[in-house]
Amino acid sequence: MLEVSGIGKTFHAGTPNEVFALRDVSFNLLEGSFLIIIGTNGSGKSTLLNAVAGTFPLDRGTVSLSGHDMTKWPEHRRAKLIGRVFQNPYSGTAPNMTIAENLAMAARRGLHRGLAWAIPRTLRSELRDRVRTLNMGLEDRLDNDIGTLSGGQRQALTLLMASWLKPDLLLLDEHTAALDPKSADQVIRLTHEIIKRDKLTTLMVTHSMQQAVRLGDRLIMMHRGSILHDIQGAEKARARPEDLLQRFEDVRRREQLDAPVAEMLRNTYV
Amino acid sequence: MTLLLGASTVGLILALLALGVYLSFRIFNFPDITADGSITLGAAVTASLLILNWPPALATLAGFFAGVLAGTVTGLLNAKFRINGLLSGILVMTALYSINLHVMGKSNLPLLEETTLVTQSESVFGMLFGPGDVGVFGWEVNQRDAAALCLAAAMVAGVGMILYLFFRTEFGTAMRAAGDNPQMIRALGGSVDFILIFGLAVSNGLIALSGSLLAQYQGFADVQMGIGMVVWGLASVIIGEALVGSKSTGIVITGAIMGSLLFRLIVAIALRWGLDPNDLKLITAVFVFLALVVPGALAGLRSRAGRAR
Ligand SMILES: Nc1ncnc2c1ncn2[C@@H]1O[C@H](COP(=O)(O)OP(=O)(O)OP(=O)(O)O)[C@@H](O)[C@H]1O
Ligand SMILES: [Mg+2]
Repeated sequence: MLEVSGIGKTFHAGTPNEVFALRDVSFNLLEGSFLIIIGTNGSGKSTLLNAVAGTFPLDRGTVSLSGHDMTKWPEHRRAKLIGRVFQNPYSGTAPNMTIAENLAMAARRGLHRGLAWAIPRTLRSELRDRVRTLNMGLEDRLDNDIGTLSGGQRQALTLLMASWLKPDLLLLDEHTAALDPKSADQVIRLTHEIIKRDKLTTLMVTHSMQQAVRLGDRLIMMHRGSILHDIQGAEKARARPEDLLQRFEDVRRREQLDAPVAEMLRNTYV
Repeated sequence: MTLLLGASTVGLILALLALGVYLSFRIFNFPDITADGSITLGAAVTASLLILNWPPALATLAGFFAGVLAGTVTGLLNAKFRINGLLSGILVMTALYSINLHVMGKSNLPLLEETTLVTQSESVFGMLFGPGDVGVFGWEVNQRDAAALCLAAAMVAGVGMILYLFFRTEFGTAMRAAGDNPQMIRALGGSVDFILIFGLAVSNGLIALSGSLLAQYQGFADVQMGIGMVVWGLASVIIGEALVGSKSTGIVITGAIMGSLLFRLIVAIALRWGLDPNDLKLITAVFVFLALVVPGALAGLRSRAGRAR
């Protein structure tokens, strides 16, 4: 189970550029649960995922996973429990190393790395078998640099890498946003398969309302660093893209109403 | 012939420097200036210990580990104290200048009477081939020169091989990945800080080893001998890359060794033709500048020409 309690993060605190990226966010996610996160640009979705992954220290609150309080753990230590796929297809793989080398590193995510061969013969055949399941013909190109592949191929491989050793938590941050529609569909299908097969506990950020309603068993909508809606169970199953868009519209309308008030406050106090 | 032999030997010894520079500059993209200090450190430590009658192999090993220590400090400054990489190297290099003087006790330590790895391999040579000059392809070669060349070649071959194998291990692969994409290796559970510190330690260890052998070959350690050595190493790496034109690790390692050898030979010939030794570092710096700028400028020219057409 993932327990996020009262976490807060302010960037550039005390400067004119101050951003309250996360304000007192709390939620628990049951094992095997698949949570979709939506929200406007800058609402704090990526920051939330980074907070769970340990990219930066938190200002407030705690994060624990599978009974371990990870709040003070550095990012590389949390990686033992967490698999990640980034929005940018170039972030998840080492471009100047081969497909086989990249995958071999994923096969030791969070484990000790010593002076054993990175790619022993037994691993090589396993690499080939698992890459074949992607149906992209990459099993014959294991010794090509990963930098020569397309974004979609790299993202599929990153997904394979993140789930190579079953993670306690899978973090997906708009991992299909940079792909063309066809590749995006392919990667989403793969995502769905892997999560279902391994019953992975997952946090997935998306801007696609189609994905948001089709995937996952729970959905939260973030706004200005807080959770605005938390939809689960039957309500999540019933949700349609139009409902979600309506909620975005509500937020926008309220923002507009707020604007004059904010203006007044600024004039009064600044 | 003696000239070429001597140049080849120095070229091979400095190939260890080139490998160290390859590790920091190319694998990690870390401009590690510590090298200028650690090559002298290796020479200073080994020379001082040889004068204390340490066995040459141990004195050489100690020189290597002194470099490991220097690289570790640079790595710590950068990774733990978040000091800019270039500045971390400059700080350690500057500190090493004083440390080297302390280690040596004075600014120049001659090794005329001491037993060194070079004199030892000369004796081995003497036992194998008998006294006197050695015939190589019809050339009569001084025994000391031949022995030193073989020693340097063996060391470089050994180190190059170990490095090549290391880069194929789990940890070595993670090291290359840490340079290629640190975000990725962090997400896969590797501590980029630790890997960087370890890499800089090995890099400076190799550079110190190069200094240690150089001192034993030329018969003295001098506190000034490290000045400009980073640029020298970089020049070798660049020549090597141009020679082999490949990015695969094994080939690049071979390339760096060949680059160092070739560069030293070119310099030796240029000096023979009357190049002023005082201009050497200037010319090396200009060469590296050109090597860094010309390929980009050429590509720019080509694309501009393409657009004009
Ligand atoms: N490392 C950082 N330094 C400074 N500000 C940051 C940093 N990371 C995020 N922010 C700020 O925090 C706020 C939330 O950003 P975040 O990336 O979490 O938004 P998001 O919901 O993921 O948006 P998007 O949909 O555009 O990806 C933004 O205002 C952003 O500018
Ligand atoms: Mg984001």
